[in-house]
Amino acid sequence: MKIVVAIKQVPERDAPVRIAANGKWIEETDLQYAMNEPDAYALEEALQLKEKYGGEVVVVSAGPERVGTVIREALAKGADRGFHIVGDDVAGRDALGVARLLATAVRAESPDLVLTGLQSEDVGMGQTGVIVAALLGLPHATLILQVEKSQAGVKVKRELEEGWFQSIELPTPAVLTIQSGGTKLRYATLMGIKRAKTKEVRTVKAADLGVDAAPVVALEEMKLPKKQKSTQILPGSAKEAAAALVEKLKFEVRVL
Amino acid sequence: MTLLPPTLAEPGRFSETERWIFIALAAASLTLFWLRFGPILANILQSKKDADFHLRPIGRRVWDFVWEVMLQAKVIRQRPLAGVAHAFVFWAFCAFAMVTLNHCATIFGSGFLNPRSTAGRFYDYFAAAFAVGCALGIAGLFVRRFLVRPKWLGALSWESGLIALLIFVLMVTYLGAFFMPNSGAGMRALWWAHTLTLLYLLPVIPETKHLHLVLSPFTVFLSRGGFSRIPPLAGDEDFGLVAGKDLTQLVSLQAYSCVECGRCTEHCPANHTGKTLNPKQVILGVRAYLNDCGPESAEPLLGKYNSQEAAFQCTTCGACEFQCPVGIEHLPIIVGLRRGAVNTGAWEDEHGGKLFLALERGSNALGLSAAERDKFVEKNALPIFDGTQEYCLWLGCMGGYDPKGREIVLALVQVMRRLGVSFGVLRKEKCTGDPVRRLGNDLLFQQLAEANLETLKRGQVKKIVSICPHCVRTIQEDWKEFGAAPRIEHHSEFLARHLGQLTPVQSQKKIVFHDPCYLGRYRGVYDEPRAVVSHAGRLVEAPRSGERSFCCGAGGGLAFLGEEKGERVSHARARELAATGAEIVGAACPFCNTMFRDALAAQGRGAPELLDIAQLAAQGLPAKSAI
Repeated sequence: MKIVVAIKQVPERDAPVRIAANGKWIEETDLQYAMNEPDAYALEEALQLKEKYGGEVVVVSAGPERVGTVIREALAKGADRGFHIVGDDVAGRDALGVARLLATAVRAESPDLVLTGLQSEDVGMGQTGVIVAALLGLPHATLILQVEKSQAGVKVKRELEEGWFQSIELPTPAVLTIQSGGTKLRYATLMGIKRAKTKEVRTVKAADLGVDAAPVVALEEMKLPKKQKSTQILPGSAKEAAAALVEKLKFEVRVL
Repeated sequence: MTLLPPTLAEPGRFSETERWIFIALAAASLTLFWLRFGPILANILQSKKDADFHLRPIGRRVWDFVWEVMLQAKVIRQRPLAGVAHAFVFWAFCAFAMVTLNHCATIFGSGFLNPRSTAGRFYDYFAAAFAVGCALGIAGLFVRRFLVRPKWLGALSWESGLIALLIFVLMVTYLGAFFMPNSGAGMRALWWAHTLTLLYLLPVIPETKHLHLVLSPFTVFLSRGGFSRIPPLAGDEDFGLVAGKDLTQLVSLQAYSCVECGRCTEHCPANHTGKTLNPKQVILGVRAYLNDCGPESAEPLLGKYNSQEAAFQCTTCGACEFQCPVGIEHLPIIVGLRRGAVNTGAWEDEHGGKLFLALERGSNALGLSAAERDKFVEKNALPIFDGTQEYCLWLGCMGGYDPKGREIVLALVQVMRRLGVSFGVLRKEKCTGDPVRRLGNDLLFQQLAEANLETLKRGQVKKIVSICPHCVRTIQEDWKEFGAAPRIEHHSEFLARHLGQLTPVQSQKKIVFHDPCYLGRYRGVYDEPRAVVSHAGRLVEAPRSGERSFCCGAGGGLAFLGEEKGERVSHARARELAATGAEIVGAACPFCNTMFRDALAAQGRGAPELLDIAQLAAQGLPAKSAI
């Protein structure tokens, strides 16, 4: 099974985010970057499929020079090859613009499966994966927790609302967007990093791909959320209050 | 019977036939010795070279050799009775070197210790004194091994009995000569009895643990030194101890030097609480591997010969390494096995994986957002280090994120403010890498060490103080591989130095001090925290304290791993501390603190209160509002 995993590099979770002077993006100097977490789960799913069924895992990422580090990280964790679409303006493109870049890479590889994270941790549009599918005319499924091979192609487990799951089958090739937490991520190892040095990373300039960069969605303004505190008193007996608290922790704050 | 001059050295009474028999037997004995010892020596020499080995500082090596080998100080100090008995046997062996040479020379008529010369006579009596000591010593050790039978010695070993008997016979046949008429069959029989015993003993040495006779002086002299010194990885294909090809000459030498005394296991907290880990078996596992597979094998070290489960049960408390009388450095071996498993991805553990991912993506071992630390710093108005203050106060993961650890930091801050010592905290800090270093994740450790060194360099930090012995050790010793870190001290050292400026607490409360492994055995700091404790109350000692302190169970990254097998180490220790009748347990490490928090609570009503030494020192200060 040949799998392409599309990965995005996003600011590190603890990074101090400041708004850029033009108010249209964040200040990128001094920022530390990391692999988008849902994409890390997509990569993990791909690696597990490869371990189970054999094949090849190719990672694709679009962005400036620095994006090379997440490609290396993916190679260190076990991906076989990398595909870097180099462009300094990628962060400024909308989901369609990025999906067009990724679609060219996927087309070149003609894989059995394309996996990517459900959404990015920075802008969180949740669209790139499905637009890639649309551009390539492939079937797709979102919010995927588990993938296995089936007769028709793949059988996947989708997460629905309120603890419900759905099981569906898709013919391959297909695009799947992966939900975080469906499996356990592997840690990076020294051996992986050393082995990754000899793996192939193909670089292509975004400008050379001849895709339309004109945005269809215009970003008006970026703002930091206002800090606010709100205290709620849960009424009733201890038992009722506890039940209400569990309810809130589960469905509002989603920490349980 | 009157004492006659010893006649074992009497030359010229042997027949030609006797000489030839001696030559044949001696040749057989030496050949057999070499047939057994040769492959062992080859295994050691064919092991990988230790890339970081330096003979310097030679002074330290000579001193260790004199202290641990010649004076037998470690053996005696840690186990006085058996130690003295052993020392007598050892010293007799040294004294007997000349006697034995002379003994063999006499059959050719060229004995050099002439019993009629003053020097010769003196030496014979000198050796005799040692022989008496040795005979008594070995008899004592025999009684201990076969009648007292401490469980750490393991199953009864008949070869030990045999060796004891052989040594005893050697001494008796030497001493017997003092009571024999000068010429006669009795004397000749003694000579032959002594000789045959000697020739029989020689080839027994390399196939039993008595190989330590030959190897351990070298092991002690050549040891890496320091404590738990983990060697840097050498080259692109070194991932730690994965297979035989990764065993270095020092590791192999140490594996063959083990005398199976079991001191390591006797003091091992994991072994004490029903876990699989047995440090002696780890070393013997490596030895068995070398014997079966050799130093060039690709067979994994973890598997048939050593268990991965055991390797990851080690708290790295270092009691084993500290106790070992033959210079075996257990920690580089145990951590080396972990490195081999983690650096290649062979170790799969839910909690371990979580810890690694938390540190790959975030800044602290607790997996919390760095903003939590910012909030703590802001809320307590801790000054930010800007290069003008004297100390950089290193918070560490526990001090920055853990509620109890924060209390310790705030107590220290209170004292520092009172003393008028200027300090600041860093705006950003990452975990020092201690848990991942001990768990064997070299990739993460290097990333964390380098990032922190860069921060400290940019901040122009000169002096650091920390509440955490793990941070102190890691910054001071383990980071050396990646650059020079500023001077760092533990807050016990800082507090002890400033005690004179603090008003003593007028309290007679009994306080038992628990030595953290990383402060005591790792750093050799025992007196300073005790001075602080004595300042705040009446110091009492736990049965196991100082360099023999018993671990809390948190070290080696284990604080972040899941449920323990067997009893919890922290509970065993908490019970011991509570049993001293102390009202307060004085701790000096936030990890010990977090372990004892639950463990003391589990002791039920009347369990002692738990306070860090910083909190003890702060007790004497006026209420916070007065600062």
